[in-house]
Amino acid sequence: MSLSSSLTLPCFNSSFSLKKSGGLSKRSRFSSLSPRSLPPPIKFSGIFSNPGFPVHGASESNRVSVQCFAALNPELTSTLDKFVTSHKVVLFMKGTKDFPMCGFSNTVVQILKSLNVPFETFNILENELLRQGLKEYSNWPTFPQLYIDGEFFGGCDITVGKMPHSTKFESS
Amino acid sequence: MASRANAMLSRASRMKQKLQTALEASVLEIEDVSYQHAGHAGVKGDATETHFNVKIVSPKFEGQSLVKRHRLVYDLLTEELQSGLHALSIVAKTPQEVGRS
Repeated sequence: MSLSSSLTLPCFNSSFSLKKSGGLSKRSRFSSLSPRSLPPPIKFSGIFSNPGFPVHGASESNRVSVQCFAALNPELTSTLDKFVTSHKVVLFMKGTKDFPMCGFSNTVVQILKSLNVPFETFNILENELLRQGLKEYSNWPTFPQLYIDGEFFGGCDITVGKMPHSTKFESS
Repeated sequence: MASRANAMLSRASRMKQKLQTALEASVLEIEDVSYQHAGHAGVKGDATETHFNVKIVSPKFEGQSLVKRHRLVYDLLTEELQSGLHALSIVAKTPQEVGRS
């Protein structure tokens, strides 16, 4: 199961115009990724330092473009629920199992390989939306993040400390 | 005023303050190892004060799993994690565990 192909993320680019009252009205165009998604809770980034209204310093035409990033929402949660249970061992990491791009991620990959455990990985560097959503989903602010049997197992330190003695990889 | 004074402290000092206050640690060692991760994928901008080794011995960890202990530390350092702290290597033990080793 490819997370990227199955993921329907409510990611969209929006253009905004200022209302006379000083607030923003939104015309959104959803990407093809998630045509049925409801607008998610959104955090503004880039142009506005404060998502509150009214907006100051907008262009003369009062039209500004912002890219909105969705926080964890029910749809992403559901997709992640399915992904972490799709394989016995799932590792959210920086890079890939063949080309890790972080020492901590590489350490976990090498441990899993040395145990001869089949594992699925996802490169969180490929998708900033997923990267941030996973931090909320796992209640864990860093990567790598290791899931075993659908449950969060830990990051690099915990894996190093526990894995050689863990019974989780005995044949089931 | 306090926050401005706080901001002038190094990240390690701020982390030490926050962790010591909340965890009543008998051992608290914080080491900045950011230089080991310069050019690290996914680290944006200046790679200073981004990676730390943290060793804490605290009675507050008693009865808690490693995941819970680490989450406790991460929660205490939320502000730092949102302002450039990128990764922590955490050793979190209770006084009894240290005494046994």
